[in-house]
Amino acid sequence: MDPEKLLALIESICPTVRHRAHADRAALSIAADELLALMAVLRDDPALRFDFLVTHTAIDLPDEKCFELVYLLYASEHGHSLFVTTRVDRDNPVVPSVCGLWPIAEWQEREVYDLMGVLYDEHPDLRRMFLEDDWVGFPLRKDYQDEHMLELPK
Amino acid sequence: MGVALEKLPGIVERFPGGSVAVTQLDQAINLARSNSLWPLMFGTKCCAIEMLMATGAAHHDLARFGAEVARASVRQADLMVIAGAIVKKMAPRMRLLYEQMAEPRYVIATGSCAISGGPFMYNSYTIVRGADEIVPVDVYVPGCPPRPEAFFWGLMTLQKMIREGETIREPGIRRKPVMAALPEDVSMHDIRREICSALIEDNVVDVAKAADEKPWARKVREWIQKSSSR
Repeated sequence: MDPEKLLALIESICPTVRHRAHADRAALSIAADELLALMAVLRDDPALRFDFLVTHTAIDLPDEKCFELVYLLYASEHGHSLFVTTRVDRDNPVVPSVCGLWPIAEWQEREVYDLMGVLYDEHPDLRRMFLEDDWVGFPLRKDYQDEHMLELPK
Repeated sequence: MGVALEKLPGIVERFPGGSVAVTQLDQAINLARSNSLWPLMFGTKCCAIEMLMATGAAHHDLARFGAEVARASVRQADLMVIAGAIVKKMAPRMRLLYEQMAEPRYVIATGSCAISGGPFMYNSYTIVRGADEIVPVDVYVPGCPPRPEAFFWGLMTLQKMIREGETIREPGIRRKPVMAALPEDVSMHDIRREICSALIEDNVVDVAKAADEKPWARKVREWIQKSSSR
């Protein structure tokens, strides 16, 4: 399905989605509290059937005081793919987990938690993945500092 | 090491002038040690591809320097090649591996990251700035990553240090670490050209010329002349 038709179909199912410009494929954004319902439709609707969560990552936007969460979906049956993004408050970054829909999200969400500190509701095993268990802070946040780091001299 | 440390110096010390015998023993032991370095099968990052895989493989062949027996167990290894950047999580493990290695043990740090942190020196939350923050290093091999030739140069530097430096009377005394860069006037192009010409000289045989040099060649020529004049 081409991106315009895909977006039109999703909009007809879930009217609260917003389109995102500047993307190389079909891309939309959704409010965080509606994320899980939309994802369930995206996975189970026979015309969409997004059965593969290719990747999940987060972008730190300190100026807008939020994290932007990015989900890249692919439908192996129909061969179309989709960006889904949502925004979450930077001071209280709690979002619903999509582990129940795609089990691989367990690892990807753990990675985002490890490096960005986004908290996933109902994640079965939310703990550090790459860093040591006793690490303090989330190093991929733009404002992360620790005593080990050296600033690049101007 | 056990025999040399515990038994031999005692035997030698009993008669006067024994110290000479000990230094002679030093030379023999150091020669043996320098030519039988057993590297640990261990790499921290991308330099490991160059250091222990490319150099160990047939094309460059680490075996020519007596250091090809890469060991998977630290107990059997005495050379640690720190190949690549060391992350904070790896650092205590690396120190543990070093402590477990058999004495005398040597460390070569290859590549910019193992020397200083390299491109990860600034604004990195996880890369350790240099292998010497964790273990004492004997030889540094600069490069990103170093070519196998450069690594061999570093290995030969270490062998030279072992041959000249260590004494069994003072085990564990370390020399200052050295930076073993390839000499400035030697380029990789020079090395490659030399290797190419050597390969061609070794492998291309002029059959007719070689046959002429054989002792029976004169007789063959006479036979040919005889048969053609007939």
